[in-house]
Amino acid sequence: MSIYLRLFVFALILFILAPIIVVVFASFSATGVAEFPPSTWSLKWYPHALSQDLFTEAAVTSVWLALLSTSIGVPFALGAAIVLVRTRFPGRDAIQTFLLAPLVVPSIVIGLSILLAFAAAGIRDVPIRLVGAHVLVTFPYLVRTIMASLTRIDRNVEEAALTLGAGYLMTFWKITVPLIRPGIIAGMLFAFIVSFDNVSVSLFLTNVKLNTLPLAILNYVEYNYDPSVAAISTMLIAFSLVSAVVLERLVGLRRVVGG
Amino acid sequence: MAPAVIVIGALLVLPLGYLIRTSFFIGEAGLPAEGGVTLANYAKLFSDTFYIRILGKTLWLSFLVTVVAAIIGYPLATFMWRVSKRWRGILTIIVLSPLLVSIVVSSYGWLVILGSTGIINNALMWLGIVDSPVKIMFTDIAIVIGLAHIVLPFMVLSILAALERIDPTYLEAAKTLGANNLWTAWFVTLPLALPGFLAGTTIVFSLAVSAYVTPAVLGASGPNFITTLIYQQFVSLFNWPLGAAIAAMLLVVALGIVFLYVRLFSRFGGAAVQAQVADGAK
Repeated sequence: MSIYLRLFVFALILFILAPIIVVVFASFSATGVAEFPPSTWSLKWYPHALSQDLFTEAAVTSVWLALLSTSIGVPFALGAAIVLVRTRFPGRDAIQTFLLAPLVVPSIVIGLSILLAFAAAGIRDVPIRLVGAHVLVTFPYLVRTIMASLTRIDRNVEEAALTLGAGYLMTFWKITVPLIRPGIIAGMLFAFIVSFDNVSVSLFLTNVKLNTLPLAILNYVEYNYDPSVAAISTMLIAFSLVSAVVLERLVGLRRVVGG
Repeated sequence: MAPAVIVIGALLVLPLGYLIRTSFFIGEAGLPAEGGVTLANYAKLFSDTFYIRILGKTLWLSFLVTVVAAIIGYPLATFMWRVSKRWRGILTIIVLSPLLVSIVVSSYGWLVILGSTGIINNALMWLGIVDSPVKIMFTDIAIVIGLAHIVLPFMVLSILAALERIDPTYLEAAKTLGANNLWTAWFVTLPLALPGFLAGTTIVFSLAVSAYVTPAVLGASGPNFITTLIYQQFVSLFNWPLGAAIAAMLLVVALGIVFLYVRLFSRFGGAAVQAQVADGAK
């Protein structure tokens, strides 16, 4: 490989990591402005950020929202994935495309349409419409990772269980589910991240009383330039990094993201 | 499976239908939408230069983002393709990091980098290239940089997937027949990677067109992109029918790109790539 390609790739890696590196450094600044590199160092923005209800309440909302929508999606995704992987019927491809369709619809359009339709149906509860929207946007990721792990398991093991007298339900619970567990966990973790980071769908669905963390950060950044957002961001980056390693170990990052 | 179909139907298809219906309502800024059927919202979109300009700008910037992502994505993908498995794993995490780190976080990072007292401007002034800060933040350039950063993973993964399907004997054959490395890269590898480019550009363009956070945070204030225009119509002007009409247009553009792509591929064969878009279309 030529030295130019190596240098170019190095520059690109720097470009990819630049915003992350800058945010991490800026969070340790002692001054009131996010700067890189900080002129003086301090840890004070961490307690400062964590003491603001604005952020902590939104973080709790986001965690609950991500947990709820991911857990609601799993049984549906599991059922759909098994039928799609194990059976062949006319229109199967169409149904698969249909279940993955939330990926191709712009998320801002998804958020808006849920806002309008739920309002028309008389549902004005913020939590309900948020969970509905997040179930929708996380669902394709669950289906995809569960399908991927189902296609990779050895069916002979299931057949052995059936031959040895286990019923279909028992085989499913004792053999199939444990075999695809890494896939389910990886799918749930990635779905959690997708929900937790979502902005464009939640944008129209939250209100003053119930906000998600990314939206709270966005609002804050509009009027404040202090490093408390950098401190929160650094904590989020740490979580992302751990998740990335876990996902890579479980099933491979590329399989989860799809590419 | 049936329950899943019902869930998606109830949460996606019905609401989208209702959104399209709303786009035909009679609407005016600040007033509640009235029922009835009118084409006035669409007529307004296609006759008022204000809306046409923003739509044109969105398409143009998304095109630029796609070109930038393709130009920087290809060397990155070829590099990942050639390094050892261990390095490829590390590079995968780095390349995919813009997807795993919240978009709000990276936008904030660009704010620190591109701002008037940011790293770029400090470096330029320190080097004596400029005397006063250059305005990068809150311009279209900032939007293109931020968007290219976010969509890059999809471009790299698509190209990498195409590269991995190349039969290694082709490259050996080229070498045996006397082609040097550059020749092989240009006349053998690149053409074989084209399906990956096509898949990547499709995904990247439709993602760029529908991006909200980057134009909202890094772009000039006010509606500067189709998505921020939709937001303005809904949240500031309360003209829901007009906002719904713009959203419907965005939907048509985004779905149209994917549809075109699938058509193109069913014509030229390439079932493998079609499968790739089916599970990579995000």
